[in-house]
Amino acid sequence: MKRIQDIERMTMVDWDRIGADESLPVPKDLQVRLPRRRAVVWSIAASVAVVAGIGLSALLRTPEPKDTFTDPYLAYAAMEQAFSRMGQMVARSADIIEQSENKVTYWK
Amino acid sequence: MKKIITILATLLAAVTAFAQSGKDLYNKYSDLDGISAVYVSPAMFRMIGKIPDIDIEDGNVDLTPIIQSMTGFYMLDAEDPGVASKLEAEVKRLLNGKKYELLFETKENGEVTRLFTAGSGSTVNSVVLVNKEASEFTLMCLEGKMDREELERILAEAAAK
Repeated sequence: MKRIQDIERMTMVDWDRIGADESLPVPKDLQVRLPRRRAVVWSIAASVAVVAGIGLSALLRTPEPKDTFTDPYLAYAAMEQAFSRMGQMVARSADIIEQSENKVTYWK
Repeated sequence: MKKIITILATLLAAVTAFAQSGKDLYNKYSDLDGISAVYVSPAMFRMIGKIPDIDIEDGNVDLTPIIQSMTGFYMLDAEDPGVASKLEAEVKRLLNGKKYELLFETKENGEVTRLFTAGSGSTVNSVVLVNKEASEFTLMCLEGKMDREELERILAEAAAK
């Protein structure tokens, strides 16, 4: 067994000689240790997915609009108006239902 | 590899096309001509919640029980017929995309008003009011984590005033 220091001391000529030596046994599990093409493809696909995910989250992050009011009292008044409008709508619906009920009673 | 990229590109296009919210619509339309816009941010709602003495005038409802559970209010009022019809189409898509439930609908003399809510069980995450009158279209969108019972009580109170 060679030590790291021995390997570091080897020259290119030594490497060529070892490479050309067919008597050296090839490890049986050499195929397993080499990166397969499929693994490379999947790692690239995973990288693309991660980059796309980051890009997508950045794209979907909508900027915060600017507040219409700087005074909280005015903002509260606007909310009151909004609820008043919603309430009017609910009241109108109730009126329509009441009117239709009266019509039904009239025709009975 | 090509298949994976195609799938990712399709997903990206689909998500960006349908990921609409009240905030997205506000950002898109608030600066256009013929649009009146109002936005109240989560920070402003927190500030309102800290006001110690809110005067509730006669005819107004007391919103203090739910004001701190609100996180955003968007209002868009489109008076330009072209902008109004575009906004209406986008709001329709927004309401179809999420699990909105129609709470009320009134149709009177060509004016249509609809009130939708979205949420789960006892919590309402979004209240949307749309109003269409001739060439005008109004959208009101209120977001937060509001107690359904409290919200309905306040709406009933507002209707009675």
